[in-house]
Amino acid sequence: MSLNLTYSKIHKIFDPHSKNPVHALNDVSFSIEPGELFCLLGPSGCGKTTLLRATAGLETITSGHILYGDTDMTSIPPFRRNIGMVFQSFALYPHMNIFENVAYGLRVRKMEEKEIRRRVTEVMELVGLTEELKRNPSPTGLSGGQQQRVAIARALVYDPDILLLDEPLANLDAKLRRYMRAEIRRIQKATNITTIFVTHDQEEAMAIGDRLAVLRKGVIEQIGTSDELYTNPSNAFVSNFIGKMNFFNATLVGSHSAKIDTTTVVVDVKPQRSRLNVGLARGSEIFVGARPEQLEIVEEESEQTIAATVQIIQHLGQVVRYEVLLDKAISPTTMEIDMPHYLSNVREQDSVFIRFKEGMPFLFNREEQN
Amino acid sequence: MSHDPVTIKKMRKDITPYLIFSIPLIFMMIFLMYPMVLTILRAFMPSGNKLQMGAFSIDGFTKFFTSSMYKKALNNSFIVSLSVTGLCILIGVPMGYFVARVKIPGKNFMLSLGILPIIMPSFVGAFTWVILLGRQGVIRHFLNLLLAPLGITIPTIYGMFGMILCMTLTYYPFVFQLAYGAFASANALLEEAGMLMGASRWYIFRTITFPLILPSLGAGALLVFVRAIGNFGIPAIIGGDKYVLPTLIYFRVNGFWDLNGAASIAIVNVAITALVLYLQKRIVSRHEYETISATHSEIKQHDGKAIRIIAFVYCTIILVVSLLPQVTIIVMSFFEKWVGLFPEGFTLRHYTRIPAHSHKELFNTFYLSIMATVLAALLGSLVAYITERKKPKGAALLDMSIMMPFILPGTVVSVALLSAFSGNSIIKLTGTYTIIVISYMVRRTPYVYRSVAASLSQLNPSLEEASTIAGANWFYTFRRVSVPLIMPAIISGSILTLTTLLQELSTTILLYSSKTRTVPIQIYGAVADGKLGEASALSVVLLIVVFVIVYAMNRKQGKSIASAFKMG
Repeated sequence: MSLNLTYSKIHKIFDPHSKNPVHALNDVSFSIEPGELFCLLGPSGCGKTTLLRATAGLETITSGHILYGDTDMTSIPPFRRNIGMVFQSFALYPHMNIFENVAYGLRVRKMEEKEIRRRVTEVMELVGLTEELKRNPSPTGLSGGQQQRVAIARALVYDPDILLLDEPLANLDAKLRRYMRAEIRRIQKATNITTIFVTHDQEEAMAIGDRLAVLRKGVIEQIGTSDELYTNPSNAFVSNFIGKMNFFNATLVGSHSAKIDTTTVVVDVKPQRSRLNVGLARGSEIFVGARPEQLEIVEEESEQTIAATVQIIQHLGQVVRYEVLLDKAISPTTMEIDMPHYLSNVREQDSVFIRFKEGMPFLFNREEQN
Repeated sequence: MSHDPVTIKKMRKDITPYLIFSIPLIFMMIFLMYPMVLTILRAFMPSGNKLQMGAFSIDGFTKFFTSSMYKKALNNSFIVSLSVTGLCILIGVPMGYFVARVKIPGKNFMLSLGILPIIMPSFVGAFTWVILLGRQGVIRHFLNLLLAPLGITIPTIYGMFGMILCMTLTYYPFVFQLAYGAFASANALLEEAGMLMGASRWYIFRTITFPLILPSLGAGALLVFVRAIGNFGIPAIIGGDKYVLPTLIYFRVNGFWDLNGAASIAIVNVAITALVLYLQKRIVSRHEYETISATHSEIKQHDGKAIRIIAFVYCTIILVVSLLPQVTIIVMSFFEKWVGLFPEGFTLRHYTRIPAHSHKELFNTFYLSIMATVLAALLGSLVAYITERKKPKGAALLDMSIMMPFILPGTVVSVALLSAFSGNSIIKLTGTYTIIVISYMVRRTPYVYRSVAASLSQLNPSLEEASTIAGANWFYTFRRVSVPLIMPAIISGSILTLTTLLQELSTTILLYSSKTRTVPIQIYGAVADGKLGEASALSVVLLIVVFVIVYAMNRKQGKSIASAFKMG
């Protein structure tokens, strides 16, 4: 019986009366479905942790409402909200063994010893720490991954209505991080508790979340599944935050076509791939955006190619990434182009030509890149 | 379902922390601020003990220019505290370096022995030096015999030389322990990087190692200076005719009941300490660095034969000399008298008479110290928890008033309390247990406060938040998470408080009555009457109690006690 979670017009202003009030959350409204694993993603300082802490009640909000199911929780103190939370630092108690750490929320709820024992055993089985529970050491004696599992068990043991995970994988090493994100998804699906997962790592968010919300400067930029966000980004910022997007300075020449600056290349896109403001005038400066796999390197010049210099070649396994530099008027930074094969006659510092693959590019407004 | 932001705010703000917060604030107001204000007022009144609001006089201060006794006392205080600070640095820094950086045997043993001089009552150190270097002192006697053919005689301990010697040997452990800590915990990578860039050992010491330990050194030096200038016991016993400010205060109060005059001296005394504290802060703050490094590597120790021998011999000599008093009082306590080379007349009398002659004093000492420790622990932890976690308005004021007694010499606290609560004042506390407990609390709460505040600031707030999330209310979280986690800090702060209170002399001496006499007062009296055996036996008892407590704490927590004394 999972709950949905609704945010309605949330504002959070830090230091409202000072000279520099910080608008950490700006008119945030959205809903999370029952049993959903929802990721809050954004660069540091975007407000994702503030939103998570406000959900828990650890942070007050300036205005707006947070609803668990149909209940308004806005003014309920955190200890009456029945939520589970895993902290970035895990926040395990060094003065208690792992059993007592996990049992903490049950003891708060004054459960019977037998019931506590049963529940702790059950949840430790779920997180895969049955052996460790038998030895029952202090959490300081566990590895990072095991501490993580204890922290998750502690948050789940009392059947919370909502589970909150605050960058839970940030303190683990790269390999363990990849393994634990699959584990978290498995555990979440097994318990079916509505869950919010906060991270600044887009790969992690895309791998773990049913849906993602991308935040920037306290504003929700886009909400959707990983696939929707990747194939259908709503603006330049999201497109370059979820995966890599190369931006070409261009001028609007038709309703869905643009000419790349300083070249003769004209790009026609499908209407649904244009993110331009309605009624933008011809001649406006815009961006043509293309993902690394939507570009290719060719050796012969043509009307549809742009001259480039290869800077760095990285063999990444499935693809070979070519970082190329274009005319400064097109882009001041390097472009990334992923080719399915290594091009045996292209070396670093060689001059090459690049081309858009048919029907792939996006059109974006100029100002939205960061 | 309408919650405007104002009601949300009201719901969350719990006023209990504020109510609790007011308790320590009121305590400090009544028993520290009010007495200090009265002391300042009294300092500008004509001499005597009357509180005359209308009368204004700066006689108390002009005496520092007119009276030769005042001038000399001020002068002596400066000479003694500055020389003691300098000598402690000269002795303590090399010793800290040797123990931290040179491969010598028995390092832990040296560190433990190096604590002893500070846990022993300083006036006990003073009278044992009387036994050793007094008019009939053992060593003096021996050296004079030795040097007689050359026509040289060793001066007696009484006077400036004795005070400086005694205080240096008592307080050098502060510098030693803090320097050791800094040298041992410094990041070796920083020095290795210097070496790779081609710097010589001495160049590295001068440009990297030393600047990085400077803050610790500054803290150590300040600690020594503040204690030296506020010390009463040592100058009272071996100062002879050389007065310093604390003994001058005692003289004004005890000899003439001139509270107003004493207040003037107290103000001068505090002003000097405050000035030095300010200078130290300014100098040190310019040299405080955060270490920018993720990795930490073990310090490589010197293992050259010559330096190992030098280091070992140096440390051993310092330890032996500074521990002579301990050995001396143990021997002395079993003998009738000790003039000349050997003690004479073995006896257990000094111990057997303790139950009959000192039961009241023993009871008073433990009763007063334990009462004050428990109350100071409660007060200190409470204030630390509130200022660290709730951060209310006025926290800075509370922090300041709690820390102020750190720079107040014991005699000054007594004068302040007498100023406020004696004679014709509204609340009369003179001669009561209460006034002594209060003076102890005012002086020692900083120990617990500092210890707990430091431990709280290192405690990740998410530990407490996790408990709140799990459904626990404020009090449950406080009881099950906060208190257990800061308990070690509360205990170590309390132990420190208790051990220093058991041997407290400088505050008690102005506040005690026949009813509230403590063991240190009795020892002081016995020394004054020349009953050294009796004084020694009582000191041994005190020393054993203190030693057992400190030893038990060190075993349990393995923490350096010197760092707990650190201030500011």
